[in-house]
Amino acid sequence: MNWRNETVFVTGATGFIGGRVCERMMQAGVPKLRALIHGMHRAARIARMPVELCPGDLLDRESLRRALGEAKVVIHCGLGPANNIVRGTENVLAVAHAAGVKRFIHVSTAAIYGITPPPGSETEDAPLGRTGDAYCDNKAAAEKVVLDYGKRGVPVVILRPSIVWGPYSAWSTRLMDDLRAGRVVFLEGGNGACNTTYVDNLIDAMILGLENDGALNQAFFITDGERVSWGDFIRAHMALLEPPPEVKEISRAEIEASRGRSSGLLLGSMKATARVARSKEFRQMLMQIPLTEAAMKKAWNWISSLPPEKRERLRARLGVRRAAPKSAKGKFIPDAVTEATQSTTVFFSIEKARKMLGYEPCVRFADGMKLVEQWLRYAAYL
Amino acid sequence: MTEPIRLAILGCGAITRSEHIPAVSAHPGVHLVALVDTDLPRANALIQNRGLSCKAVADYRELLGQVDAVINALPNHLHVSSNMDCLRAGVHVLCEKPLAITAADARSCAEFAEDKKLVLAVGMNRRFAASHSLLKLIIEEGLLGSIQDYDFQYGGAFDWRSASGFYFDRAKAGGGALVDFGVHMLDSVIDWFGPVSTFDYQDDDWGSGIEANLFLDVKHAGHEAAISTQPSALSKDTPGHLRISRTFTLKNRILVRGTVASAEIFVQDPEVVVIHRALGGVPVSETLRLENFPGGSSYWRQLDNFVQSIANRGKPEVAGWQAVRVLELIESCYAHKRRIAEPWAESGAESGTKSRTATGPATVTANSGAHK
Repeated sequence: MNWRNETVFVTGATGFIGGRVCERMMQAGVPKLRALIHGMHRAARIARMPVELCPGDLLDRESLRRALGEAKVVIHCGLGPANNIVRGTENVLAVAHAAGVKRFIHVSTAAIYGITPPPGSETEDAPLGRTGDAYCDNKAAAEKVVLDYGKRGVPVVILRPSIVWGPYSAWSTRLMDDLRAGRVVFLEGGNGACNTTYVDNLIDAMILGLENDGALNQAFFITDGERVSWGDFIRAHMALLEPPPEVKEISRAEIEASRGRSSGLLLGSMKATARVARSKEFRQMLMQIPLTEAAMKKAWNWISSLPPEKRERLRARLGVRRAAPKSAKGKFIPDAVTEATQSTTVFFSIEKARKMLGYEPCVRFADGMKLVEQWLRYAAYL
Repeated sequence: MTEPIRLAILGCGAITRSEHIPAVSAHPGVHLVALVDTDLPRANALIQNRGLSCKAVADYRELLGQVDAVINALPNHLHVSSNMDCLRAGVHVLCEKPLAITAADARSCAEFAEDKKLVLAVGMNRRFAASHSLLKLIIEEGLLGSIQDYDFQYGGAFDWRSASGFYFDRAKAGGGALVDFGVHMLDSVIDWFGPVSTFDYQDDDWGSGIEANLFLDVKHAGHEAAISTQPSALSKDTPGHLRISRTFTLKNRILVRGTVASAEIFVQDPEVVVIHRALGGVPVSETLRLENFPGGSSYWRQLDNFVQSIANRGKPEVAGWQAVRVLELIESCYAHKRRIAEPWAESGAESGTKSRTATGPATVTANSGAHK
């Protein structure tokens, strides 16, 4: 379809991916861009463009209808409350369906196969099972809803990026902070598959999804197509620091030994969760003032349903200690989420995207890294 | 003791809640008559919530004749009309920054107030931090030697939860980070180093007029009185570098470098000035603070200055014309802006379809402020 003359509606527009989508759409010269804004104060990056800032909430269909307006192209990067990923996605689809949109790009994630995708999940036809992680499972369930709406006539395309990185990405900014603080290790020699997806490569795939009618009702892994390991990713960032920080190697056995039996992907303990639940910030999020056992349970569920990086950020922001704060023999012990994320051996294949979408990653890892370096300097991280 | 000043607060948004109400409640010279907000339930809720004994009014014009003064904390684009209505009715005004969206509007307010001998004060609360007058003293007394330059950075993830969200609307806010934070910073540096003679301005506005990031290099002409009484710490072209961000955490401080020592003020600790110098070749720092400095928040001191100005028919610390001077400079910056180069944003396959503004240095002679 010819999307360049259409009004485009972007959800998740105040986030890292959605923000870049807005920039790229402006650069492409779309006549009008409508951005769904949940927290207006987070919109500083996109407010510098002539974007229609549309207040709304993924869980409020009426607000979505108003925000969608006359748009006929939807790029759904939004997540909403993580335990409501499915409902939020369904709401956008319902509103888009009613409005007769011409294309719906759904930004899914390769993490539907888990935080540590098992061998065998290299291609899109790999069967999905429950991973036990609420974020991963909810994102997987959201894909099913998208395909349902596809059957009902909404022209949908599903993209499954992995580690989306680039300027404004927390993968780089947090890594810089962690490197400076001595909180980085090479897990198992840093050989884990990183599956980098440079943000502009992902957006190129979105644009191909808009243009290519052969991509409808299909899901595509989208990565940089290079076998970048976590060690490569970390070393590329280490090289930006002067003096270069020392990063030690650690094995999973060492981590297990130091952690004992208390391994897990949650906040580490119910005690930590209680601390989060008591915090003002969290209760504002939940709009729940009295702290009851029910609220605690809700807190636990809510936190465990967040994407791993958000969970980590919340943990950091609220001052909750990591699951394994100890260091073993002078080595920093990474938290369970980081360990799981960096443990996969699976490099996702982008052959299907190449064939059906005509996707070819334009930004190579090394070139992306140069741009990230320039941006980190600008953003006062270097 | 004279009767307390009868005061109303226009607008029940974020700044009224967090600063003006506590300041007014703590000031014995002020009697709060009303909170004004077009959203009357919001004003009533605030009154109840804070245990205030004033009334809630939807339209400030109902109050003219019943109040001596107002604090104007309406959204930026409503400042001028409401200021003028109040001044015409003989009401003194303490207006939140910026005084107006355009320098011309600010000028008419300032002139009108001067004609009518009314106090028009502008909310520049940072002037009331101890570090402001302390740094002035430090420079004047030559503690730093002659001033070489300064670096002033202010930035963090934007998190101002305004009730109306007007700050992302060019017509209502008048601009982005420069209007928002820049008015404070420019007001301060002009007070310290004198009017701006030339500048070079870049921002990251992509067409909405609401920049999130900016770089402003300036030269200050110094203070006439100070320059004529040689020797002065300030030359006729003190360079300064300002950077503001709504997206990135910056150093959030001003560092003033002199031939003998440097002075630093941190945004999060505005009551002290840190002096850096060498003692026998060893770098040392010392923290200076004003003794006998009144307590309370900077907003309380600002209100107190407003109240004293009304009582003594004097000039407030920041009068309307000083805001005019800053707004003129901001308008010049916007008129001569260049776009910050963002090479990482050019990398997409779609790049090349957009227009780019010319790059290259473009120092502009400021016609603002210098004549004041």
